[in-house]
Amino acid sequence: MNLFTDATVAEPEGAWGAVAAGAEYFIGIFQEGGNVLWSLMGGILPTLVVLLTAVNALVRIIGPEKIENLGRKAAQPGLIWYPVRYMVLPFLAVFFLTNPMAYTMGRFLPERFKPAFYDSAVSFVHPITGLFPHANPGELFVYLGIAAGITQLGYGLGDLAIRFLLVGLVVIFIRGIVTELITKRMMAKREGAAA
Amino acid sequence: MNSLLVKIGRGVGGVVGTLYQAGRDTVDTVIKNIIPFMAFISFIIGLVLVTGVGDLIANGIKGLAGSLVGLLIVSVVCAIPLLSPLLGPGAVIAQVVGTLLGVEIGKGTIPPQYALPALFAINPQVGCDFIPVGLALGEAEPETVEVGVPAVLFSRLITGPTAVVIAYFASFGMYS
Repeated sequence: MNLFTDATVAEPEGAWGAVAAGAEYFIGIFQEGGNVLWSLMGGILPTLVVLLTAVNALVRIIGPEKIENLGRKAAQPGLIWYPVRYMVLPFLAVFFLTNPMAYTMGRFLPERFKPAFYDSAVSFVHPITGLFPHANPGELFVYLGIAAGITQLGYGLGDLAIRFLLVGLVVIFIRGIVTELITKRMMAKREGAAA
Repeated sequence: MNSLLVKIGRGVGGVVGTLYQAGRDTVDTVIKNIIPFMAFISFIIGLVLVTGVGDLIANGIKGLAGSLVGLLIVSVVCAIPLLSPLLGPGAVIAQVVGTLLGVEIGKGTIPPQYALPALFAINPQVGCDFIPVGLALGEAEPETVEVGVPAVLFSRLITGPTAVVIAYFASFGMYS
């Protein structure tokens, strides 16, 4: 025999009801946050761990010092070397050396190219994360944040990731050229003032 | 025969060691860099979704992030030479704004093809806080740093909006 079958608990009313509702609302924020965290940890984190491990191993096996020769070549003047200096070299530097060690590749370039190379390389540390998150694992959410919305709509991320990477390459190329020009002007002005 | 065995053993040991070390590095970054940021981002998303803050932000963002002109305005503001070094550190602001935009794209407030130009609009300040250190890593002379800092900052005023325009045209045909 169960005495409690018909027992009902009255909904809290009045002041206590308000407090209770407030508490539920308050905890609801963190429950929602917890759900998001759970979906992130269960969704992308395992893939990320495996991908990072594989690429980290690949980088170790190839050896990042291999790209130093390219750095020396990119130092040459001439139009042909522009895409090497502001597209290929930043890409490889960010891929193999990752943020922030990628900027050390600047040491092979003459002084007048260094600001432009830095600008170019640092502008690539987010576009690369769509496909190669190992290059900048601390700042993934510039891409992942926006990508989460795309996933929610039920679209695949490949299209966005590859376009982000390609447009990124074009942008860093332009940035390199523009910054090199500005640097050149400013250096000339400075020398003019000193003389 | 013996030396061959030693060679093979060493080779295999080397590869396994490398893989193991790579795994160790990965777990290190995941625990130190990725999970803490996920926790922080999750809290912000929870706050945005449950409270009305989300709708407020949505209205503000909708006008800016839902059109090319709005995105250009965002990129110019982020590229202002006095602001950009302040907005840069750790890309925290870009990441938070990116997450907020992601929420709005998911809700349908912002059309998905704007994801690509938005990625560039919220980020013309990338690395602007780090120019002297970055140049020092490249073993630049102090004179180069003096010229390089303003050169990069001013360059961003031009290339920031340019990037948004390129990304806008590159986003045609995506998710539509």
